[in-house]
Formats: sequence, structure tokens, C-alpha cells
Amino acid sequence: MFRIKSPQDAGAAVVFIAIGVAGIYFGSDLRFGSAGSMGPGFFPVILSWTIVGIGVIVGAKALAVEGPRIEPIQLRPILVIVSSILIFGYVIDKVGLAITVALLTILAAFARKWREVSLLETVLLAGGLGVFCVVLFVYALAQPFPAWWGR
Amino acid sequence: MGLDLLHNLATGFGAAASLNNLGFAFIGCLLGTLIGVLPGIGPIPTIAMLLPITFGLDPLSSLVMLAGIYYGAQYGGSTTSILVNIPGEASSIVTCIDGYEMAKQGRAGPALGIAALGSFFAGCVGTVFIAGFGPPLAAVAQQFNSPDYFSLMVLGLVTAVILAHGSVIKAVGMVLVGLLLGLVGTDVNSGLTRYTFGISEIWDGIDFVPLVIGMFGIVEIIRNLEQTTLPRPHLVARMRDLWPTGKDLRDSWQAVLRGTGLGSILGILPGGGAVLASFASYTLEKKVAKDPTRFGKGAIEGVAGPESANNAAAQTNFIPLLTLGLPSNAVMALMMGAMIIQGIQPGAAVMTKRPDLFWGMVASMWIGNLMLLVINLPLIGIWVRLLSVPYRLLYPAILLFCVIGIYSINTSAGQLTICVVFAVFGYFLLRFGCEPAPLVLGFILGPLMEENLRRSLVISRGDPMVFIERPISATLLATTVVLVLALIVLPQFRRTRREAFQE
Repeated sequence: MFRIKSPQDAGAAVVFIAIGVAGIYFGSDLRFGSAGSMGPGFFPVILSWTIVGIGVIVGAKALAVEGPRIEPIQLRPILVIVSSILIFGYVIDKVGLAITVALLTILAAFARKWREVSLLETVLLAGGLGVFCVVLFVYALAQPFPAWWGR
Repeated sequence: MGLDLLHNLATGFGAAASLNNLGFAFIGCLLGTLIGVLPGIGPIPTIAMLLPITFGLDPLSSLVMLAGIYYGAQYGGSTTSILVNIPGEASSIVTCIDGYEMAKQGRAGPALGIAALGSFFAGCVGTVFIAGFGPPLAAVAQQFNSPDYFSLMVLGLVTAVILAHGSVIKAVGMVLVGLLLGLVGTDVNSGLTRYTFGISEIWDGIDFVPLVIGMFGIVEIIRNLEQTTLPRPHLVARMRDLWPTGKDLRDSWQAVLRGTGLGSILGILPGGGAVLASFASYTLEKKVAKDPTRFGKGAIEGVAGPESANNAAAQTNFIPLLTLGLPSNAVMALMMGAMIIQGIQPGAAVMTKRPDLFWGMVASMWIGNLMLLVINLPLIGIWVRLLSVPYRLLYPAILLFCVIGIYSINTSAGQLTICVVFAVFGYFLLRFGCEPAPLVLGFILGPLMEENLRRSLVISRGDPMVFIERPISATLLATTVVLVLALIVLPQFRRTRREAFQE
């Protein structure tokens, strides 16, 4: 069997081939046309085939040349940051900017290890940033956000 | 010609010196210095965060401010490199080597002083470069037709890939993925939606701001949090005197000149930019030095050269964007995005249709460099104190600005979801050794490339020979082929490329 010598390249190859194949598959509904009169599918499908080609080359390289390993993926920071962004989007029009900012600050603090988080410091920071953001975005920059609850 | 230039510069200073624009230039320079000093946030996410806020400004004000952030960051970045041995910006990585050594020897003051003075000199020369090279290049660009534009973009993207660091083949893949992502949304010619999967947020195309903030800003935060020890600055030296001594100046003036020249030229090349310029300048200084062993032990040339080079490149980077409409790196792609948002198509037409905009920007850069000298030298103490703010207090604020910036595009959660998708996507790609910058270049050029390809092939009735029959296009494509061949065939070329980024 083949042995993967460069895990990073192998990962990149999988991503490229997946994107290329998706581009070809979902582009097949679009009219391809001809060079003289390009349809909406012409450029994207050619691009997708090229991406698949690049993916194959990177994949071949992964089997042929030694390369660095993939750094271990830590789930905590990525999950906490991603979910705090999504929560921000879904609560801001209900509870207003001040509370949302404070909430996001407190949530984001837990992207670090539990024992490193000082509760008092986090609450103070949340309050400070809440006031600061309301003054800056709602009053100074006149962005159309509710400052407090729906108002 | 000479009189023209004076007349144009007068127009520019007239536009840039309005109280309003001076204010925005100052805000930009101040913000640029701030994020330059702070490790963990760079010009790309900062400019992306501010894009939604610039919707309401007039075009010149917003461009003046955003440009100030880019070159301001070059000034601020050196401060952190010299004082705490952490590069505030990628373009100041090499400054750490000799700058921090100087600081340990108690010579932080002269290092900071020469970095700021060199940057100022380079910034002035870079501005003159834009004023001098802009109009003739724009005149050439007026001769360009669709096939020429298409070939120019091919050359630009290929050069960008070769000059960027990391794997070339993976960077090519990222450019292509970027081009494909740029095509998502409604096709202007057929009116059909492509790759939208019924998601209404992307009917008009994927929004630039959440994509860039996701792939740069959010990914950067996540990666900083993954490190067991968060970046923690540690100050070594107190500064006594900021002014370099006579000997310092004698030692470094040539390095400043070489750095400025090298940076100005590398800045014009597609793919070139502040980072490449600083690395190249350090390598050059080491090569020409009488005693190369001094490098790494506090040689002032090792600070003066790269710091001048990165600032010169940060100015001349604007030349391809303003004259050809071709962004040469991710920051310029953002500037292009800012111009498009304002309804201005970057390119040669800017100079003829909106001379106030082009010359106003040129003038503002010179004014901005002067402001930066004042912001950085006397106020250095304030910036140093900022460094003691720990990252755990900083990242919630950075995250908030990113999120609020995206939300303010159309006050809906949809754009935040797109940002999250690209953050996760960019995170994994980075784990696989794929840099996000080429993707952003492809993304902004995707629709333009398709349109120019279509037009070229309509003119030629489907005959691809049109790209080699036109002299301009043929020259551009031939240059591309030579570059690619050089990379494949000449091992020497490949080694130089690798070395330039290692050090």
C-alpha cells in the first residue's frame, strides 16, 4: 500500500479534490456553451477541473515527498469562538448591543482553560466593553443596532 | 510633464489637506501604529473590520484612512520587534534579529530612531515613485484590451504565488479555489444563480468582508488561543536617547538607501509587498556587509534596511492597483474591495476620471508619513505601555470588533454564519499548510477574469489564439511562462526563493 509521507499535503489534496468535484457536479446543471459564447458553466467548470488536477498533484506529492505532520487540532478555542459568534448573531436584535457584547466577552473568555479564567476580571471587562461598544457604535458611528433590549 | 506633475500634486494636496481628510489620515495612521504595535492583530483583519464603516464616508476619506492603517502598521511593527522580540507585524520579523540585540545592549533608542527615520525617508521616496510611475503606467493601461487584461491577471496571480511564502502548488490551488468562490452568486450575463444552493445571503455573491474576517481575523484569534503561553511581552531595556549617534547614521544611511530602492521595486511587483521586501533587504544587507558576522549581534543596518524596505513597499504596492486595477497582495485586494464598495472601478480610469482621488491619495501618503514620524517618535512611551496589555484582555475586544463589523453590513445573522464557515475552512486549510492570502486575491479577481475571458473569446469568435496574437497580451503571457519555467527548471531559483523566506 501507499504510505502518506506528508500528512499536510494529503489533507490539502483531499480539500482541493472535494472542492473541484463539487464544482464540477453542481456546475453540470449550468449551460457550458462554447468558447465563442461562454455559458454560465464554462469558466467555473474549467476552474473546477483544474482544481481537481492540482489536488491530484498535491496528493501525489504527499505520497512521494516527506513533509511536516499536521499540528494537533484543539477543539476548545475553535468551538467556543465559533459558537460565541453565532450566538451574537441570534441574540443581538432581541436583547440589544450592551448585553450581547457582555455575553460574548464572557463566553469568549472560556476559549482559554477554565483555571486560567478570572471571573471578576472577565465580568469587569464585559461591562467595560459593553459600555464602550454602545457609545462607539450606537452613538458615535450611528449604526442601526438596538442599544438595550429591542430599543 | 514637470508642470503637470506639480499641478497634479497641487490638486492632490488640495484634496488631502481638507480638515476632514487630514482627520481620517490621522485616524488611519494612529490605528495602523496601534495594531502594528500589538502582536496578534494585523492590517488585513483591521481593514476588513473597518470596511463596513466606510460605506458612509466619501471615497477619498475612506481610502486615505485604510491606506494609513497599512503603512502605519509598518511603523508600529518595528517597535514591538525591537523592544520585546515579538514581531508586531509579519513585515517586521527580520527586525527582531538585530533590533532586539541592539535593545539588549541598551541601544533600543537608536534602533527605534533609525527605524522611524528610515521608514519616513522610504515612505517619501515611495510616494514619489507612485507620482512618477503612476501616470505613464496608466497611459500604457489605456491601450489594454480584454485579452491583455486577462493575461495581466494571469501574470499577476502567478507572480503573487511565486513571491508568496509556502508551497507554490498549494498556493496555485488556493488561487483557483478563490476564483471559483468569486463566481458564486448571480451570473451577470445569464442572470442565473451559480452555486448558491438556495441560500439568499449569497445570491449577490459571497460578501468580501465576512470571508476575509473569517479567514484572517477569526483564524488568527483561534491560533493565538491554541498556544499554551499567550504572547506575553517582556521589556528588556529602558530607552535613554532616541536619536541615533553620528556613527549610527554613517553606518546606516546606505542601508536605508538600498532598502528603499529594493522595497520600492519589490512593492510594484504583483505578489510583492512589505513582508517580502523586508526579508529581501535583510538578505541583501548581509551580502554586501564588509563583516557579515556582525549580523544577529545588533548590526544597525539589519534594522535600517528592512524597516525602510517594508515601508517603501507598502507605498509602491498601490501602483499596480491604482494604474492597472490589479491588486498585488491581500491588503491591496481589500483596498480594491473598498473602492468597489464606493462604486469606483480601480484602474487607469481612476486617474483620468477622478484625479482628485488618485493625487489625493498620493498626497495623503506623504502627509501620513509625516504624521507617523510624530506619532511614533515622541509618543513611543505610550505605545510601549500598550504592550503590557495582556492578550487575554485584548482578544475579546478584537473578536467583538470583527463580529460587530460583519453584523453591521446588513444587520442580519446570515453574514456571521458565512464568516464562521470561512473561519473553520481557513483554519483547516492552514493546518494543511495552505495560506489564505492567495485565495483572497483569486476571490476578488474571479468575476473580472471571467468577464475578460468571455469578451476576449467573443471578439475572436472562440479562437484562443487571440491571447498570443496581441503583442501586449503575448508579452505578459511569455513573462508568465518564463517565470514558471524558471521555477521548475532552475534549482538555483527555487533555492533563492526558499532562502529569502527562511533566515
